[in-house]
Amino acid sequence: MLKIDNYSSELLQNITFNLEENQNLIILGSNGAGKTTLAKVLCGIISNQEVEIEGINPSKVYGDKRIKLINYIPAKLEIFDEHISVYEFLNLSLINSDMSIDEVLKCLDIEYLKNSSCKTLSSGESQLLLLASGILHNAKYTIFDEATSNLDPQKVKKVFTILKDSKLLQTKLIITHNLAMAYKLGYDIMFIKDGKISFKGSHDEFFSSENLDKFFDGSIKKIDDNIVINL
Amino acid sequence: MNKLLILICIIIIATSPFFGQVDISMTNIFKQTTVDYQIFWDIRVPRSLLAFGVGGILALSGMVFQTVFRNPMSTPFTLGVASGATLFTAIGIVLGFASFLSLFAFVGAMLTVITLFVVASRFKTYETSSLLLVGIALSFFYSASLMVLFYVSDLSQSYEIVRFTMGSLDVVGYSDVNIVLLSALFIFTLVYRYKFELNLLLTSYELAHLKGIDVQKTNYILLLGVSIAVAVCVSITGPIGFVGLIIPHIIKTITKQSAHKLIVPIFFYGGVFLVFCDLIARNLGTVSDVPIGVITSFIGAPFFIYLIMNRKKA
Repeated sequence: MLKIDNYSSELLQNITFNLEENQNLIILGSNGAGKTTLAKVLCGIISNQEVEIEGINPSKVYGDKRIKLINYIPAKLEIFDEHISVYEFLNLSLINSDMSIDEVLKCLDIEYLKNSSCKTLSSGESQLLLLASGILHNAKYTIFDEATSNLDPQKVKKVFTILKDSKLLQTKLIITHNLAMAYKLGYDIMFIKDGKISFKGSHDEFFSSENLDKFFDGSIKKIDDNIVINL
Repeated sequence: MNKLLILICIIIIATSPFFGQVDISMTNIFKQTTVDYQIFWDIRVPRSLLAFGVGGILALSGMVFQTVFRNPMSTPFTLGVASGATLFTAIGIVLGFASFLSLFAFVGAMLTVITLFVVASRFKTYETSSLLLVGIALSFFYSASLMVLFYVSDLSQSYEIVRFTMGSLDVVGYSDVNIVLLSALFIFTLVYRYKFELNLLLTSYELAHLKGIDVQKTNYILLLGVSIAVAVCVSITGPIGFVGLIIPHIIKTITKQSAHKLIVPIFFYGGVFLVFCDLIARNLGTVSDVPIGVITSFIGAPFFIYLIMNRKKA
């Protein structure tokens, strides 16, 4: 179980929730609401006392014990050395997957990138590379921070099937602005507003018309079985 | 090509003791009674070994500094280790402890390292850039203190201080050489042991954390180890600039590989580069050796700029 108990910082206030294994969660909220900060707290990049994953605080424990528990896939690929190739990068994430690097690259249709330098990838390709590293790492809990923000529609669809597939990855926490995807995934929803959790509950409850109006000020509408932006 | 280059390098190292102000004959170097024997075994060979060890340490340290600080301009002297050594050597000279200057230099370098890590332990949040800034501030403080020493010292003392800052590979016998080679072995082993961590640090701190590394601890161990080895070098040879900056870049640009895979080449070519520069320094002047730092910069800078200009995006 993943637990965060009353975490507060400059940006976040009184964050408390539990997540059982295989209880996938979608985290929504406007820009600057604190979603990425929350993700970094959960995986221990931001040091804290309040998070506990199966009895371990991820900012205090190092090595094998922690890496199998939690992983975070950032929105942007950050790489200092210009000569690290896609293959070398993925090699660092070979932790808990039955799949090989080649299989994961094939699954995402990016085999052709295998020997490219990570620095030369487009933003969409980098995002797929990060997703590939997440699949290879295959931690018990994986947080995806805007995994589809730079992708073309076909790729979004591809990523959607991967995130929907229960076999490829274990428990997923998905931060996204793509409400159509969030709606179709059908996972529980958490909405963060101004650093506080203003909603946490089931998919059906969140996507009711009243709640959509309440959280998105009328800019989101549900038409038939689809979520659209009301332009 | 690669094998040819290695062969050329080995030839440079092997033949370097034969060149210098005094010509020596091949046959005499195995006759213990000759002057050639003494020049060859007590001066030239230790000097080449010293140059190789110091060059290797400086180049490898440069790679570690550039990785840990994620800054391509970092050098082994960025944290003020060299200026600390210089200042304390100057203090030693002014106070008249001519025979203990290496000790003074080492104490100066180590005091700098200790100061840095004491300050770093007080940081509220961990950021390597803060450590870098503290190091630079210390360097400026040392430079100012050095000015004061110049001001109070007499002409011959000033001259001696200036000579130290130019760097010199003058050495007699093997005691200093052994210390440097031991340090080289130490730093090489340390960096090799941290190869996987370096690979992660070369991507991002966040990734390193997510793959189980204690980033702060790893960085501090690497910086501390490297700084100690550099302190040993500086105390014996004085600060020799540019090797630590350019060798890692040159090797990376030529091989197009990530730095963690280049631990052996960076060490090896750093050593060869300094042996080669010293060879020129010893044979260029007619009266005395040209300061080694002059040669490393004169050869290194143009070649470095040439490489940067011709660099294609990978």
